Amino acid sequence: MDKERIARELIGIVGSDGVATDPGELRVYETDGLTIFKAMPDIVVLPRSAEQVAGVVKVCHRERIPFVARGAGTGLSGGALPVDGGILIGLNRMNRVLDIDYENQRAVVEPGLVNVWLTNALAPRGYYYSPDPASQTACSIGGNVAENSGGPRTPKYGVTTNHVLGLEVVLPDGDIVNFGGRTLDPLGYDLTGIFVGSEGTFGIATKVIVRIMRTPEAVKTLMGVFETIEDASNTVSEIVGQGIVPAAIEMMDNNSIQAVEKGVAAGYPLDAVAVLLVEVDGPKEEVEALVGPIIEVCKANHVREVRVAKDENERLLLWKGRKAAFAAMGQISPEYYVQDSVIPRTKLPPVMKLIGELSQKYGLRVANVFHAGDGNLHPLILYNSANEGELRKAEEMGAEIVKACVEMGGSLTGEHGIGLEKRDFMPLMFNDDDLEAMRKIKKVFDPDGLLNPGKIFPAAMRGGEVGPAGQREALDKVLRRA
Amino acid sequence: MSDLVGADHIVAGPGAARYVVDSKLARAVVFPGSVEEVSTTMAFASAEGLKVVPRGSGTKMALGGIPDRVDLVVVLSRLNGVVDYEPADMTATFRAGSLLKEAQAVLGRNGQFIGLDPPYADLATLGGILATNSSGPRRLRYGASRDLVIAIRVVHADGKVTKGGAKVVKNVTGYDMNKLYIGSLGTLGIIVEATFRLHPMPAVERTCLASLDSVDAARDVVARILDSPLVPFAVELLNPEASRRVAEQAGLPWPKARCGLAVAIGSIRPEAVDAQLETVRRLCREAGAAEGHVLDGQVHDAFWRATRDFALGDGLQVVLKASVLLTKVADAVRVGEEVAAKQGLRLGVVSEAGSGIIRYHLTGEAASDERFRQGVAEAVNRLRAFAQEAEGNVVVLDAPPEVKSRVDVWGLAEKALPFMRRPKAEFDPQRILNPGRFVGGI
Ligand SMILES: Cc1cc2nc3c(=O)[nH]c(=O)nc-3n(C[C@H](O)[C@H](O)[C@H](O)COP(=O)(O)OP(=O)(O)OC[C@H]3O[C@@H](n4cnc5c(N)ncnc54)[C@H](O)[C@@H]3O)c2cc1C
Repeated sequence: MDKERIARELIGIVGSDGVATDPGELRVYETDGLTIFKAMPDIVVLPRSAEQVAGVVKVCHRERIPFVARGAGTGLSGGALPVDGGILIGLNRMNRVLDIDYENQRAVVEPGLVNVWLTNALAPRGYYYSPDPASQTACSIGGNVAENSGGPRTPKYGVTTNHVLGLEVVLPDGDIVNFGGRTLDPLGYDLTGIFVGSEGTFGIATKVIVRIMRTPEAVKTLMGVFETIEDASNTVSEIVGQGIVPAAIEMMDNNSIQAVEKGVAAGYPLDAVAVLLVEVDGPKEEVEALVGPIIEVCKANHVREVRVAKDENERLLLWKGRKAAFAAMGQISPEYYVQDSVIPRTKLPPVMKLIGELSQKYGLRVANVFHAGDGNLHPLILYNSANEGELRKAEEMGAEIVKACVEMGGSLTGEHGIGLEKRDFMPLMFNDDDLEAMRKIKKVFDPDGLLNPGKIFPAAMRGGEVGPAGQREALDKVLRRA
Repeated sequence: MSDLVGADHIVAGPGAARYVVDSKLARAVVFPGSVEEVSTTMAFASAEGLKVVPRGSGTKMALGGIPDRVDLVVVLSRLNGVVDYEPADMTATFRAGSLLKEAQAVLGRNGQFIGLDPPYADLATLGGILATNSSGPRRLRYGASRDLVIAIRVVHADGKVTKGGAKVVKNVTGYDMNKLYIGSLGTLGIIVEATFRLHPMPAVERTCLASLDSVDAARDVVARILDSPLVPFAVELLNPEASRRVAEQAGLPWPKARCGLAVAIGSIRPEAVDAQLETVRRLCREAGAAEGHVLDGQVHDAFWRATRDFALGDGLQVVLKASVLLTKVADAVRVGEEVAAKQGLRLGVVSEAGSGIIRYHLTGEAASDERFRQGVAEAVNRLRAFAQEAEGNVVVLDAPPEVKSRVDVWGLAEKALPFMRRPKAEFDPQRILNPGRFVGGI
């Protein structure tokens, strides 16, 4: 592409402070939350409105330039990487709350809005936005829509798709369209539903209509300290088996506890093999009634200590530990590589055992900190890339975990997405016909394949490999294992 | 066709009359007994260019536009039963021809259920419920099909069988194909299997049923309930006609000409239910509602069954469904009453006030057939105009073909159509599946 000419045209659309071409400035965009992959865009554009996004996209479409949207860049599957170069459209300047309608329980926001800002805006009136990824102080709602993000509160309240009712989208040809709206059951195909979780490959969301909810009257958080992972896992199953639907059930193993305690001192016992955080919320009487049975289940499963947070400060501190867990890994390892597979909840004990065995086999430590209530694992494989071959080993080990989870009836990813990282694992779950159906829906939105190329579909399906050579090599190695 | 599914499982001629679709008689009705047979049937149909109408129990065959042509009706009822069910994982997979009722019976043994309670829930098949995105009062708490289905298997127009989603409660591997097929009225493929996330059945469920002298009085109470920390699983507003009939079926007395407001609470603990009900009663009292009944046990179940399956008596009937903003529900009921009175129609309204979904049941009373059709057409237009202002829509759920030929049963805005056609063009370019029945004649 004629970079200078295109850049000039883009400046005409978004202004000179909204276009970057200088390699120094572009570097910020060469990776996302998964730092092992890198790819540089040719140009970065920072629009301020849907019309500007549409203007930029029209240029891409006319010139057949590949392009990709980026929110906050916290994604963990390389989703926002411009693997074919081209134009990266950063949405962080479109970060307003456009409308809050308490009576109809809806809010309309721009895609670049940071997740937690919405809840902050709603809190004074006693409302909140439920999906709460651990990255919520940084990640954008547009990124959440693209990844169908989850978070600790999903066992009771569901993931992003259950809370998004409508979208304004700039299609890859520059048309601005509306899907869904503020009311339920829009006519025709559920285009909002299929868009959520499309990982930035269908269009650029420029407006998001979400459901907002009344803040629960009461909330209680319990910490259970366990001597074995098995006891903790059985506790999870039995709580649910009692007919209790906790808002959250999170598990952390000893390596995670070590890191968290060094990082933020959340008050988890350093010698615990596993800690469970269980949160129940709802009307006061309901919450009161649930605490007792949960404690009983913990006791029946040999809990060493069970503590109910006595006030809001203690409760927040327990959660701070969980939410800061990824960041705290720096305390015990220079780097980590996180997997995100899901298993049926009943498979927790065998899969945790397997992860332990793989850790021995590869000689790499693993910290497990995950959404136990819905079987969504997050094994953080600790490595140091300064040690020759260690990253490679971490990736191989990750691949073995993913493969095992799928074989146990699970899924490749519960919330982080396929992106670039796991695209070649897709055939583990889906055959050619399944993938062809997905490809058809991709064609519905992006017939020219310009938007976020190189993601989701296995390399073999794409006709020719893309991306920087080093990255390809890493992927190949993982693949041979898978 | 006999070779494909066996001669015993195919009906043609007079025997097919039971399966007419909007009075169109199919050349044959097939009852495939396996996914493979559905697949070979579709491969045959697309090779021969036959138009196919998939069917479950037939409770919602009146939904949708009049089909362009009906060559084959593919009845899924033989394709039933559990595929897999692990109670501790709270997920279960069923073949699409299973009755919801049968599925609930299997799950109920473990105190679990699928959080769906659409109209005619005792007759409807899972496949039919998903294809029509049918929902009921419990939606407020449990969501609709799109929130409950985690994996799906579909036979495409050309006979290919594909799956989407995964049998785990949380999953983002690939596109969320479930969403595409749910509510698509079988125009993109035939759903042959679905996996659901399950919920525990609350040990105790009770309902406060209050009577109000007008729908307007309900507006304030509903708003206050929704703006409170209460967590009802259903909030239903019924007009006087519907209240009277539902109360009668539940064996309850009902004061004349009063609306009913039902607020249902469930929990694993009775004390938690009663505490919330007390708050509901207080809110109702403050809004001037007459002291409500508290429904429990069999009366409770009978009340909700009657609400869910609400129908007016015999004669010509039309059912409309509106979706509007929560703040517009009471107005939507009122506008319905006005237009029904003007057209001389009898109207029963059941509305999911916490979800913004309203069902209007219309019958002709003494009106001639022609007068009835005319009145319904007027009602649809009036309600659609109202719903559009309330950012929603009105769909004709159930009507005879003579009515359907006069109104657009969907009412999708012209400008949304070109994009809507694209999935159909990719998935069923020959227009084999249900041609003409979906929005915009898709
Ligand atoms: C410490 C940490 C903790 C995390 N915890 C969680 C967690 O608990 N749960 C969870 O689900 N995830 C978690 N994540 C992952 C990540 O935060 C989420 O995937 C998040 O939704 C990404 O948002 P983002 O704005 O950073 O998106 P980006 O990384 O910028 O982009 C992600 C994808 O979205 C696309 N995209 C962005 N904006 C738009 C738009 N407007 N329209 C269309 N496509 C768009 C991009 O093209 C890309 O494919 C965590 C990440 C980190 C680093």
